[in-house]
Amino acid sequence: MDFNPCMKHQLIRKTVQEFAESEIRPLAAEMDKAPGFPDDLMEKMKPLHYFGLQVPVHLGGAGLDSISYAIVIEEISRVSAALGLCITVHNSVGIYPILRFGTREQQQQFVPPMAAGERIGAFCLTEANAGSDAGGVETVARKTDHGFVINGTKIFVTNGGICGTILVFAVSDTDPGQSSVFIVEKHTPGFSVGEIEDLCGMRANPVASLFFEDCAIPADHCLGTVGQGLKIGLTALDTGRIGIAAQALGIAQAAFEESVSYAKARQQFKQPISRFQTIQNYLADMAVQIDASRLLLHRAASLKDKGRPFSAQAAMAKLHCSTTARTVTDLAVQIHGGYGYSKEYDVERYFRDAKVTEIYEGTSEIQRMVIARDILTRPT
Amino acid sequence: MSAEKQIWVWADYRNYFQSRVTLQILARATELARKNDAVVCAVVFGDRVDEYVTEYIAHGAQKVYVTDDPFLKTYNVESYAFLLSALVRRFQPETLLVGATRFGQEIAPRVARQLNTGLTADCIDLDMDDKDRLVQIAPSFGGNLVAKIITPKARPQMATIRPGTFQELPHDDDATGEVISVALPDNMPAPRVRCLKSELQPVHARKIETADIVITGGRGMGSKGKFKKLFDLAELLNAEVGATRPVVYANWVSHDSLVGQAGKHIRPKVLFSFGISGAIQHTAALADARFIVAVNKNPNATMMKLADVALVADANQVCTGIIRAVKERIRD
Amino acid sequence: MLHIIVCIKQVPMVSELPWDAKTGTLKRETAQGMMDPSSRRALEAALQIKADPASGPVRITVVSMGPPMAKEVLYEARALGADQGVLLTDSCMAGADTCMTAMILGAFIRNHCPDAGLILCGSMSSDSETAQVGPQLAEELDIPAIGYARRLELGCRCIRVARHVDDFMELMEMDLPGLVTIDHAAESDRYAPRYVTLGGVEAAFNTGGIQVMDGRALGLEKEFNALKASPTKIMEVYSPLTQKEGRVLTGAVKKMVDTLFDDYGKIISSAMGKDLKTHDHEEDL
Repeated sequence: MDFNPCMKHQLIRKTVQEFAESEIRPLAAEMDKAPGFPDDLMEKMKPLHYFGLQVPVHLGGAGLDSISYAIVIEEISRVSAALGLCITVHNSVGIYPILRFGTREQQQQFVPPMAAGERIGAFCLTEANAGSDAGGVETVARKTDHGFVINGTKIFVTNGGICGTILVFAVSDTDPGQSSVFIVEKHTPGFSVGEIEDLCGMRANPVASLFFEDCAIPADHCLGTVGQGLKIGLTALDTGRIGIAAQALGIAQAAFEESVSYAKARQQFKQPISRFQTIQNYLADMAVQIDASRLLLHRAASLKDKGRPFSAQAAMAKLHCSTTARTVTDLAVQIHGGYGYSKEYDVERYFRDAKVTEIYEGTSEIQRMVIARDILTRPT
Repeated sequence: MSAEKQIWVWADYRNYFQSRVTLQILARATELARKNDAVVCAVVFGDRVDEYVTEYIAHGAQKVYVTDDPFLKTYNVESYAFLLSALVRRFQPETLLVGATRFGQEIAPRVARQLNTGLTADCIDLDMDDKDRLVQIAPSFGGNLVAKIITPKARPQMATIRPGTFQELPHDDDATGEVISVALPDNMPAPRVRCLKSELQPVHARKIETADIVITGGRGMGSKGKFKKLFDLAELLNAEVGATRPVVYANWVSHDSLVGQAGKHIRPKVLFSFGISGAIQHTAALADARFIVAVNKNPNATMMKLADVALVADANQVCTGIIRAVKERIRD
Repeated sequence: MLHIIVCIKQVPMVSELPWDAKTGTLKRETAQGMMDPSSRRALEAALQIKADPASGPVRITVVSMGPPMAKEVLYEARALGADQGVLLTDSCMAGADTCMTAMILGAFIRNHCPDAGLILCGSMSSDSETAQVGPQLAEELDIPAIGYARRLELGCRCIRVARHVDDFMELMEMDLPGLVTIDHAAESDRYAPRYVTLGGVEAAFNTGGIQVMDGRALGLEKEFNALKASPTKIMEVYSPLTQKEGRVLTGAVKKMVDTLFDDYGKIISSAMGKDLKTHDHEEDL
């Protein structure tokens, strides 16, 4: 067992760092002020394969393995978590279900424009009365002669304001127990985007409600087969969790780095505060949590690449990474004192961005449920 | 080996009025030569170069080797390197010094290779040890440190010298020197590189190297946008703006503004240093700054230790504060 | 077909290596490697020549002399579009000065790339900044060379190079094979390096590795030792810092700035050649 990153993963990390430090970092604080990402930045990212991370080369992607994927998301999120969120959601729950469950024709039709960044992906499950409990979904798909007609409202959709290709989780109008995932494109009549949410963190990401009013789509826009909804949803979430874990890890890493350099520079009582044992304890705790997070995450990613079950391991990674992001950013603000509570310092943004990683893509409580179920169903 | 020890200075007279490096090296060579009774010689190549020969004698050259030929009219690195190597083989100087201009940095390595000798690049000082060996003092290990280098066996001892390192001697009209004309060798190879065009570019009137006030900025300024504030301050103070390497590489300013080992050497009366930690390759170029004001959040930064006045604060905020203060205090 | 050889150096990523004042050594192991920015510009020039249909078929080989970890920059070069990567590595090459480096690179090109048409180097690496390897490699191979190129124009078996040298703007021309160093400090964005694509990295590792050659494979003599063969010797290395007993100001920005001008305003005003109100002045009044 080798715990050192291989040369490829090291080079992937440097490649993303170089781009993120020179192109994203200078904009990150400004992006936090209003929803949306600068067009220039998105254009620069397109040819570099950021929108087709794990898409096979023949469909226009980079063909990365899952550890590389986790590294890319970590490094973007280390600079801008909101952009990291856009990229991970687009790639994991936006594109991955089509690659996994889509027919050859669906892959040919929908994936290349997404991999090129021309169409941003979104996945919508959450509704006013359904989130952790997928059984509460009220969006319905009515079968017609030509295909399906979708009606319903989805809320808190990441990338909602900029999405081009949307995966919609809906139930059959005749059998509420039967769910499917449908591919809806932005220009479909009856589809519209609601107001952008005013959120605590991730403020650059245009999270929005999406409305489907008699949205008619062809029959071949049903992903996979009718009735596969729950299976697709759960698989998408497993994959999505690797991305969100990586995102949380990136936030924690950024907060940690800021804390170390601040602790070395900040003087109190005529010495750098890094000389104080309390601060040292904080830094040590942060480092341990971050290291453990990364190991858990890379294990889950490696299992996924090997085609082995990784659901519980992804849940563990997501649970631990997001908890780490919250506690580490909390300590980072504490180390920065009053400055940490000011928008002048990036740790204030990291602190706000971190919390939601414990909520979306399955709350921490849901992750524990997934982990516990795995423990209790193991043969004894 | 010839009876007398000679220190050679290859004369780079192109753009004579801007580039004084040859005169600067002659001055240092004169000091070194006193230690072991060596003879300071200039080596001049070109077409009708009499006036330069006179100049070099007036600035310290005791002997001048001259090859004056229309073939040498334009600077050509291959021909010049061939000729210089041939002269060295014939007259066997102990030491050969070349100014670290771009042309100097092209010709010197080729001559060193042809003569199988060593070459220390971009020296910031030269000395002579008690065994009459040339001590070549140059930034090393990525500019973080300074190394003392010698050439124990191979001769000549070669070094390129950073322009601006030494002070030239005053022009002495009464100085005399021996001029030795050397004919172009018969076996000069035909040049393989053709120069189609060579135009002297107009030089900016004011240069950072000679400015009385210089404002330098590092990554601590925060961003490209915030860095621009330094230019506002420069305008007010009648100053020039310089930058560190990370800033230049991040494209906040052009390479022209680089202050440091690979960039400009400055000697201002007052230096304002904003958000610079002080890597040695940067600070090596500041040795002649008379009064240094440094601003950094980190009081332990090297730059802060070099300062006469160190302000522990955010560089960007202090810059804004100084702009305001100057506007308030200036009397027209 | 034009075979371009690009010489690449791996340099420490940070410009500020931690220096251990107690032991007098550099903490080199803490630094990560990266492709020297000027080498990367040289590779960019090669990639642009390759992309230009007027160049005809072009093959790019990147070569680096360095420790085994320098493989990474060769993979990076492959990710950027180089066709082949070769690492020259051997303990006998350690400590090579510029002459020995040129000798080793020269041995590779002479013995293993007889069809090399154009050799590109960065004009000056970001760590040692000697600018010597390019010119010395040209000597080694006995081919014409032009330094500090800002623009290349490929002709029929010849190349034209625009460059800026000591305040002169020059246009030079030479027949191929020849060597060109690309200006590390050029203002123009022409050879500003492109970003590495993620798919490029994946592909670089999936399609063949980096060829590794030691001294024997290169045909170096058995007893060759770059460190011993080097004509120069380092006697002493030191940190050139001279610290001043300066005054340290802390507190509110406004107060610090006022103190600066009150106490040192005369020095500043005399340098700027204009009169400034200072504390001293007010007392005079």
